[in-house]
Amino acid sequence: MSMKQAGGNRKPGSGAGSSGAGGSGGRQNLGRGRLSVKGPSAAVVCNGVYANMRMVHVLTSVVGTNCELKVKSGIVYDGVFKTYSPECDLVLDAAHRKSPGSSVGLRQEDLVESIIFKASDVVVVHFRDVDFNFARKDNFTDTAVGGRINGEHKEKDLEPWDGGRQQHVVSGSLESLDTDVSNGWDPSDMFKYNEEQYGIKSTYDSSLSTYTVALERDNSEEFLKREARAAQLAEEIEASSTYKSRVALENEERSEEEKYTAVVRGEREQHTLNRENKYIPPGQRNREGMSWGAGRQNSPRLAQSSSGPPRPGLHDYSPSSGADQRVVNGGATSCPSPSSRYQSGPSPLPPRAATPTRPPSRPPSRPSRPPSHPSAHGSSAPISTMPSRRMSSEGPPRMSPKTQRTPRTHRVPPGSRVPPGGDFMSHNAPGEVPVPPATRSSSSGGTWSSVVSGAHRPRSPRQNSMGGASPGPSPQTGSASVEPVTTPMSASSPAAASPAPNMAATSVEVKDSRIQETRHNSPTANKENVKPLESPPSISRPLSKGPPSMAPDHRKQIDNLKKFSVDFRLQSSSNPDPQFQQMMTKPPRDAGEKSKELPLDKGSEEGPVVPAGGNKPDSPGTPSSTLCPAPEQNRGPDVTSQGVQTSAPTFSGGAKLEDKEEDDPDQIRKSTLNPNAHEFKPRVYTPQPKPATTPTPPRPQGQPSPSIMVQQPQQVYSQTVCFPQMYPLTPVSPGVQSPAMYHVQMPHMTVSQSKPYRPVPNMPQQRSDQHHPQGTPTMMHPAAGPPIVAQSPAYSAQYFTCSPQQFTSQQLMPHYQSQAQHVFSPVIQGQTRMMAPPTHGHPGQLVSSTTQYGEQTHTMYVSQGPMPQQYAHPNATLHPQPSATPTGQSQQGVQHSGNHPAPSPVQQHQALHMGNQPQQQMYQALAPTPPSMTPGPNPQSPQGSFPSAQQAVYLHPQQMQHGYNPSHMAHMQQVSSTFRSPSLHPEYILYEQAHIQSGMVPSHHGNPGHPQMMLMATQQQGGPQPQLPQNALNPIPVSSTTHFSYLAHPQVQQHHQQQL
Amino acid sequence: MAAPGPGEYFSVGSHVSCLTCLGQQLQGEVVAFDYQSKMLTLKCAPSSGKANVSDMVLINLAYVSEVDIINDRTETPPPLASLNVSKLANRARSEKEDKLSQAYAISAGVSVEGQQLFQTIHKTIKDCKWQEKNIMVMDDVVIAPPYQVENCKGKEGSALSHVRKIVEKHFRDVESQKSVQRPQAQQTQKDSTLSS
Repeated sequence: MSMKQAGGNRKPGSGAGSSGAGGSGGRQNLGRGRLSVKGPSAAVVCNGVYANMRMVHVLTSVVGTNCELKVKSGIVYDGVFKTYSPECDLVLDAAHRKSPGSSVGLRQEDLVESIIFKASDVVVVHFRDVDFNFARKDNFTDTAVGGRINGEHKEKDLEPWDGGRQQHVVSGSLESLDTDVSNGWDPSDMFKYNEEQYGIKSTYDSSLSTYTVALERDNSEEFLKREARAAQLAEEIEASSTYKSRVALENEERSEEEKYTAVVRGEREQHTLNRENKYIPPGQRNREGMSWGAGRQNSPRLAQSSSGPPRPGLHDYSPSSGADQRVVNGGATSCPSPSSRYQSGPSPLPPRAATPTRPPSRPPSRPSRPPSHPSAHGSSAPISTMPSRRMSSEGPPRMSPKTQRTPRTHRVPPGSRVPPGGDFMSHNAPGEVPVPPATRSSSSGGTWSSVVSGAHRPRSPRQNSMGGASPGPSPQTGSASVEPVTTPMSASSPAAASPAPNMAATSVEVKDSRIQETRHNSPTANKENVKPLESPPSISRPLSKGPPSMAPDHRKQIDNLKKFSVDFRLQSSSNPDPQFQQMMTKPPRDAGEKSKELPLDKGSEEGPVVPAGGNKPDSPGTPSSTLCPAPEQNRGPDVTSQGVQTSAPTFSGGAKLEDKEEDDPDQIRKSTLNPNAHEFKPRVYTPQPKPATTPTPPRPQGQPSPSIMVQQPQQVYSQTVCFPQMYPLTPVSPGVQSPAMYHVQMPHMTVSQSKPYRPVPNMPQQRSDQHHPQGTPTMMHPAAGPPIVAQSPAYSAQYFTCSPQQFTSQQLMPHYQSQAQHVFSPVIQGQTRMMAPPTHGHPGQLVSSTTQYGEQTHTMYVSQGPMPQQYAHPNATLHPQPSATPTGQSQQGVQHSGNHPAPSPVQQHQALHMGNQPQQQMYQALAPTPPSMTPGPNPQSPQGSFPSAQQAVYLHPQQMQHGYNPSHMAHMQQVSSTFRSPSLHPEYILYEQAHIQSGMVPSHHGNPGHPQMMLMATQQQGGPQPQLPQNALNPIPVSSTTHFSYLAHPQVQQHHQQQL
Repeated sequence: MAAPGPGEYFSVGSHVSCLTCLGQQLQGEVVAFDYQSKMLTLKCAPSSGKANVSDMVLINLAYVSEVDIINDRTETPPPLASLNVSKLANRARSEKEDKLSQAYAISAGVSVEGQQLFQTIHKTIKDCKWQEKNIMVMDDVVIAPPYQVENCKGKEGSALSHVRKIVEKHFRDVESQKSVQRPQAQQTQKDSTLSS
């Protein structure tokens, strides 16, 4: 035998093993024929032993076992069987010569790494205690398992299951599952059970010392490093939307039934009440939105009740048709008692909805009532007058109305209680109820209303109801109620409503007409708007028939929760539209007449009068006056709701006081259609928003996405800067206000970013670049929006939170594209994730997709994310372009993204960057949205996400700072939660960006990044593909590297320098 | 069976008895036979007497003087099962490492008890190695001769207590199994002597 020491571990065995594994398959592996003596054919054909399936199988199955190999000379070698050759040469690892006498043990020096024994030298190889099943793959087949069974195997007798009746385990029976409300076992119960049953004493000791070795903490550098890394990873994970959503699954308080049921239950009211001041998860917000819908239904009742009183009824109806919720609230406030009666009769469903929405509002409203006028009912009229006066004054009243509206809902109950007073009384009663609120509303009510408007729709109603109740002067309330109603009709309606109320308050029926006109215009622009427009007519109808129709509609809506938002808008709008149209066609007076007709039952006379009197007059004093206003108000709201929202907001914003604005917000909330209106509202809200905002945002977010899209945009505009920007892009633009807003905002943005103006100019450029004429322009507007945000940070924050959700939902919605674009920025995050990958892989695809969705901007952000950052950084730090490092980067990024898709990344990118940079800046201004985006990307950390994330990150910080700093810190905080995740990412992003920059920069410079490429990631120059790799690479470094974006930048700079 | 070669000298499943040129008598069931290399593989009764395992002998018939077929195979051999090659490779590697480690310990003059303890610990904690005659566990706990529980030293902590538990259990098991192990050890010694 020839003993050879193999220099290294030869692992022919592995090959042999593999060959052996397959039996026949082994032959192929045998290919290494070098060992095969037989020669030439060895390479391909299995030679020698390798051709023998069974021999291969047997020898392979004993690989890794100890064996004693005896050679011709009689010497025995002990070693681990490693492998064998086709000639059956054997290889033993860690072999040693076994000396006959030495049982002592092997010495280190005796061991040989590995020995190859020629087959001709081997006499016998003895493998001891081999388990032939060790490496069998089919260990778990019936055959394999059966073959290893020890002893007798007989089938067990099957026993019937008694359904756990005999179980002695505490609460172990199935029955207990049905009856046990508790969510699983209490930990202490589990511990106790384990201790009793198994003698295992459980503790909360996280070290699990019973099972493993606890982590020893020390201050060593290594440990600290690892700890930091762990913390970092934890942050990344916990910041991811995926993580949050999954945690929410477990921690959400709502039951499954509560979450997914299509049935609207009165219980909600309680929930809503309880959660009024709590943070409402997106999902729940949606629900609340639903509740809103319910509220709307209620509103119909209210409306009915209001309708009961001639004009109020009209108002109510219109509201019910348009925006039930709002209407309800408004109606309730305005004509609680009367409307409630009517409504209750006509629409059973409304009650449910109303109950939910009402509950929240009720509590507040009720309290308010008692305090102000415990015995007010009797003297309610005076009180009402008082409030009405206050309210009637103008903006305040309107505001109060809104607020009152919510109260109205509450009031409604009272109203219903009062029914006897019925129509006539209704005026008084409403007035009464409202009165206290009115007082409040005037003072605090206004704030509430504003808050409400700023806040989620659902809440807003509540809040409104609260505030409204207090302020709720009957007349004003009536008008307010009407407005609310209208607002409910269409998301946009709110805005319109607000204006309308204002108008009404100002006794500007003409305005209403204007509004209507505007509405019509806006409607054309926005589908939703159009719907709202239609709604007004419906309102007129409602007076006569509106209530019943509304109720059915509501029911349907309820049935389709998901579709709700859409349906609501659509249905409500559609229904309302006809009615409203009628109304429209008919002068306000006509409406009043109609209202009278309806009211006739109770107080037709008053109704007519009221219309004539106008909201303002009525509000001051008599219920009748209130009634009259109501009709007008209704009209106004309707109009606003329909198309005018944008215009209406403008009106309201311009002419009306904050209260009006508040109303507008409410309307806006309800009316998704008018983005512009929202913008206006936001401003107004800014002051009050904080409280309401937090709650409100959630609501909009949830449901808005589908149908509410328009609404959201509005809200977004008004509330959040970032989103607003997004929204502006959407049709919202119709409203002139939005532009104005943007302009205003722009300054803000500029201030924060220092390059705001550029962005604006850029915006146009971007549009051209992006090839998304409409979308981009809108985007531009959105950019402007951000400034607005700055104005009302709180709103922005809310929107942010909401926006993501909404966006996500919206993203899904193709229809919303125009609006969505704005919105999408947040949504994009998700998309970005999706998109980002494609962009990398298929830039062109990304672009197309983005364009289609209207998300283009978003996509742009995403894709750009990486690119922009790079650019921006270069500009800021290294490059001359520095103009807007942050914003510019983001914008650039966006542009880049768009460019990236194109095959020729570098050149295009450069070009884009050059021209687009300004635009990018604009985007940055929009930053808010990007931030939202960022979160998504972050989770997606992967390449695609990173780019977006990066962009977003930059944007966020800046945006956040800008918008937030100015506005409300508190709100910001709320929002911050959403943003936080992004914030975490920003650092990473920065790194990434930095990396990207390094890589990208070269391209920008026009230098195909020879040096740069080398330094950073050469991939960039390569074109899209290279870029992709870079992105990927970048992310990795980021994660691995520290969080310091700054560090990254320095690096980048260095790279640039080198490159330069 | 697909026995190779011109003629089937051995059928898989047959029981044969061989006498090597070195005078060793081997008997077992034919598992495989390669005509060209004249390699015969027999599955024999396990030397340890354990169930579910068996000894396998690879015989070069070139050095066998007598081959007796005790009984021919009665039925077709079972199909071959596919093997988990990576598992085999891992086993080969770990076996080798164990042996090298053992050799190191032996050459260092570590007592048998120490070696056994090392093997036991190694089953639970891979991160253990010899440091001179001390067993170093996780770079944290040092077990010095005579490797008793009280010899476990290191930073007070769960790691140390954990190792102590292992050591304590090891010696407890050794005590309880001594009676069984000794005979086995003797057997192996005998076998080795016989084989050699």
